Amino acid sequence: MTPVLAASTLTDWIDAQGISWLPEWGPVVLAAVVHVILLLTFFGLPAGIFIWAERKVSARIQDRLGPTRVGGRFGWLQSLADGVKLLQKEDLAPADSDKFLFRLAPYIVIVAAFCAFMFLPFSNGWTAVAMDCGLFVALAVLSLEVLGVVIAGYSSGSKWSLFGGMREAAQMVSYEVPLGLTAVIPVVVAGTMNLNDIGNMQQGMIWNWFVFQNPFTFLAFFVFFVATLASNKRAPFDLAEAESELVAGFITEYSGFRWSLFFLGEYAAMFFVSALGVVLFLGGWWTGIAPLDNWFVSIGESCWMGDYIVRVIGMKIFLVKSAILVCVQIWVRWTLPRLRIDQVMTTCLKYLVPIACFLFLGVVLYPLILVTVLGRTTLLPGSGVAMGERVPVPVVEAHDFHPEPGDVAAETVAAPQEEEH
Amino acid sequence: MFDLALHFLIFIIAGSVAFVLLPLLIGQFVRPDSPTPEKVATYECGEPTIGSSYVQFDIRFYVVALLFIIFDVEVAFFFPWATIFGGATQLADPRLSDAARMNLTDRLFDLLPGTTTQETMLSASDALQMAWTGFGDILVFFAVLMVGFAYVWKRGDLDWVRSLIQEKKNAREAASKASA
Repeated sequence: MTPVLAASTLTDWIDAQGISWLPEWGPVVLAAVVHVILLLTFFGLPAGIFIWAERKVSARIQDRLGPTRVGGRFGWLQSLADGVKLLQKEDLAPADSDKFLFRLAPYIVIVAAFCAFMFLPFSNGWTAVAMDCGLFVALAVLSLEVLGVVIAGYSSGSKWSLFGGMREAAQMVSYEVPLGLTAVIPVVVAGTMNLNDIGNMQQGMIWNWFVFQNPFTFLAFFVFFVATLASNKRAPFDLAEAESELVAGFITEYSGFRWSLFFLGEYAAMFFVSALGVVLFLGGWWTGIAPLDNWFVSIGESCWMGDYIVRVIGMKIFLVKSAILVCVQIWVRWTLPRLRIDQVMTTCLKYLVPIACFLFLGVVLYPLILVTVLGRTTLLPGSGVAMGERVPVPVVEAHDFHPEPGDVAAETVAAPQEEEH
Repeated sequence: MFDLALHFLIFIIAGSVAFVLLPLLIGQFVRPDSPTPEKVATYECGEPTIGSSYVQFDIRFYVVALLFIIFDVEVAFFFPWATIFGGATQLADPRLSDAARMNLTDRLFDLLPGTTTQETMLSASDALQMAWTGFGDILVFFAVLMVGFAYVWKRGDLDWVRSLIQEKKNAREAASKASA
């Protein structure tokens, strides 16, 4: 499809400012730098908060207090304090390890998780690279993270690490399949891989969310969630670490700050897959209450900077939904015992893969059979509920886009600028 | 494409510098650096390490990995198919307004927004036919994969713990058959 890039709208917006001293490639680079600065905070901050949340939630589940001292109440600065402590720890590489790969592994984990963030729409139109194949590229980039884990396991020169890395490889190659298959399901419903469009198509009441679209998408969400748990090596699928059997699995030989980077990557990836689940199934940045959303949008149209305010509200909704999903992941981790490796593989290959295949066929056949039998693609009658009515009309073409005062797209583009100041 | 490549470049540089390189450089000034033979020894629960760590072990997931390659390539082909199929099923709904139908036709045939007119837009019956054809295509594609999956399952390659007794029994039977 013809790319309608939101990133190039920021580029075009900078271009339209007529800054004479900028070279021809200046606006593109400037836009990318703005995106990096914004996303660095969205990568690091939630990760730190969720590490704290994990400790606090696990403590409460186990009837303990968890961190209480650092930063006053609730120990909310614990992650930062840990980071400072870990900075002062010796940076060791075992004598038997492959030093180059050993040092390289954390880079791969961090960079893969971070690059996936550039495809994530945080609010309507707020995405660094809005591609028409955004979902596809995001999944591809995120799955590179496993490479870092396998390299870490292999290069450590420890048997524990080697087994941890190999388990992770085995687990990942099997769980990518149900993950991919269930990620196709919203694409079948929406008819687009553009994450921003998928999010916008779920505007309206809560039953417009794709998770409630039909019985197959409803089940697909849970398969997707389980597969993301496994792909992030979260309990009950944390066989790569498995502290009760493999000491610490692939991170046995890591110490100090390099050790903590794996956790930063893991928690950021947790946030990412939750956010992806929210965009694909749980209505993205819409509240699910149509009058409320319409009220927000009407405010946006009526006042100065309204579009920006509406998108900030949307982002808050989006972040809250993602945080809830992350909390469910944490809850699951401290509730279920770890599976054995053969149980993990059986769960995936003999249960999740056939279920995902069935759901895929179901979601494909559902509208076809309905339209052939009932003459409409939804169970409910009425013209407003047709999925095709919700497909957004592309506003602008990237290369002939000239923002004008009051233009919605131009206002959107202005928004990241505001945050930068 | 240039935009995407540039973003990747800047994100990789910024991610590795901000999260890994910079903290490690700062750490360089505050952390101790005094490795001893005990410290850099491989951890094996406090015992002296026995042999090399690069041990040989059974890669039991080899067939699973092969299966994954096939499956993942398959899923990669599902994505573009799903966009077209999704568009076609949306168009197949006769309740659609003309405006939505023109928009969807533009998207389906990869036209510039606003190209399609009321005369050229895809009718519901044509779209339905297209969707059924798409379904037939993916069914053939999917069936081939499922046959392979069923074969691998039947062969027992999906079992992480192979039944050794069963394998030995099978081998004995095969040997007795060959001798007879």
